[in-house]
Amino acid sequence: MDARLRRVNKEIADCKNDKSSKIQLDLVDESPFHLKGSFPGPEGTPYEGGRFEVDIRIPDSYPFQPLKMKFITKVYHPNVSSASGAICLDILKDQWSPVLTLKSTLISLQSLLCSPEPDDPQDAEVAKHYMTSRSSFEETARYWTHIYAGGPDPKAKDGGSGGGSRDEVAMAGLEKAHVDQFEALGFERGKVIDVLRRLNYRGANVTKITEDRVVEELLKP
Amino acid sequence: MQSSDGETPPEAPRLESADLPTAEGQETLPTYTGPGFVTNNPELASLTPAQLYELNQGLLDEAVPQRPLIDQIVPMAVLRAEYENGSASFTKQIDYLVSQSYTGIRRTRGDGDCFYRSLAFRYVERLMNAADPALAVGSAVSTLEASLPMLEAAGFQKLVFEDFYDTFVSIIKRIVQPEADGTTLTPLLLLEAFQNPEVSNSVVVYLRLLTSAQIRTDPDSYQDFLFHPELGELMTPREFCETFVEAVGKEADHVQMTALARALKINFSVAYLDGRSADGHVDFVNFNDGIQDELEPLVLLYRPGHYDILEKQSEDTVI
Repeated sequence: MDARLRRVNKEIADCKNDKSSKIQLDLVDESPFHLKGSFPGPEGTPYEGGRFEVDIRIPDSYPFQPLKMKFITKVYHPNVSSASGAICLDILKDQWSPVLTLKSTLISLQSLLCSPEPDDPQDAEVAKHYMTSRSSFEETARYWTHIYAGGPDPKAKDGGSGGGSRDEVAMAGLEKAHVDQFEALGFERGKVIDVLRRLNYRGANVTKITEDRVVEELLKP
Repeated sequence: MQSSDGETPPEAPRLESADLPTAEGQETLPTYTGPGFVTNNPELASLTPAQLYELNQGLLDEAVPQRPLIDQIVPMAVLRAEYENGSASFTKQIDYLVSQSYTGIRRTRGDGDCFYRSLAFRYVERLMNAADPALAVGSAVSTLEASLPMLEAAGFQKLVFEDFYDTFVSIIKRIVQPEADGTTLTPLLLLEAFQNPEVSNSVVVYLRLLTSAQIRTDPDSYQDFLFHPELGELMTPREFCETFVEAVGKEADHVQMTALARALKINFSVAYLDGRSADGHVDFVNFNDGIQDELEPLVLLYRPGHYDILEKQSEDTVI
């Protein structure tokens, strides 16, 4: 049997036998080299209660080349692209080692959710949000966990995951009062959300960014 | 055309933009019309000569096939010829190596694994050349078998290292135990094995894991020497090993070399061809002195940033 297949089969079996890590691997199609991994969001983080899915591709020269991984589940995190799910993590690049496995790499992703590294961001806007106001960032990350990863509804007192429509202001990590304020000037709500998100209109930044500056951005076609 | 594989110091000086030829009849920008370059493309015409040069180098790197992972022996004269238009201090040192009866070098690819790959190849080769190969192989295999518990003690999963181990040990055993087709290891088969990426890289990784396990399981002997090569800060054994031993393509330094010599229970020396010697002699640094065996010496050639194997056999007698 081909060495790569032998190794991958052993890793999949090892993961199945280990119930304690709560890490799951599933085949996506017929190929053993395209998998879907998933793990629970770490406790004590805004990702707690969610389950996060990762697309895994095993390259031809595995394990001498790193696994290719990206989030399928949308994640609000400085080192994960909020649009594409691309991940910025050294072991998926130049720090890859053949001692790493599907399981240990997924565990590293789980740890990345615990300890963001905003100085080496994948998503610059999210990283700015994290640096500007940690509490507002965590609120947004928790909301994304609820919407995309099946986590508890942060607004429901009992923690249940109630249905309800998606709150675009909360998704963008903004304050309703700020959005209302500029919407009242006659701008379209979606555009206000987009501009305030790009300007990182949060925390201490709110006093630094003048109303004129925001209006100027809103007037751009 | 020169490939930029960085293995042949001193390198030809890189062209400065100002040195690039200005093509006749071009309106504003001087355009590089070097080998293999099409210049009537409007997108390329807007690039500066420096950008074009970089782009061209990139294309050359892709077009020129890479050096094999490990190559046949070439005579010292070939190495000397590379330096004849360069630094006299290097040619003097090469002449010194010849005077010490080194006849050739066996080159490895400059991919960050060159130390481990050179060492592994020569390690197997001299077992094959031993006066009593069965004894030499038996002794090497028992050392490697005895290293397995150390890998587990260092925290490596068996499923991670067992395939690499099997690959390495089966090459060594083949020196004395015929394969199903009745053949034992020959110099040509050894070279082919080490030119096969899967086999060659498995052996390299096994040596990296041995090195790492040696450091991790004996931290007292190493922890005062585990410096980050760029930042100069001390690192924990775990951080050091994860970053600079186990990760693919990370070059070995003195600490790794010492640890590996101890793990394999061998000694070896490194000849430093650095062009720095006033009288042309070459410094040899010994690792793990004091080990006595009947094998040929294992000598590597270091040139800044790269390791190859120094051989005393000529290319006529072996592959």
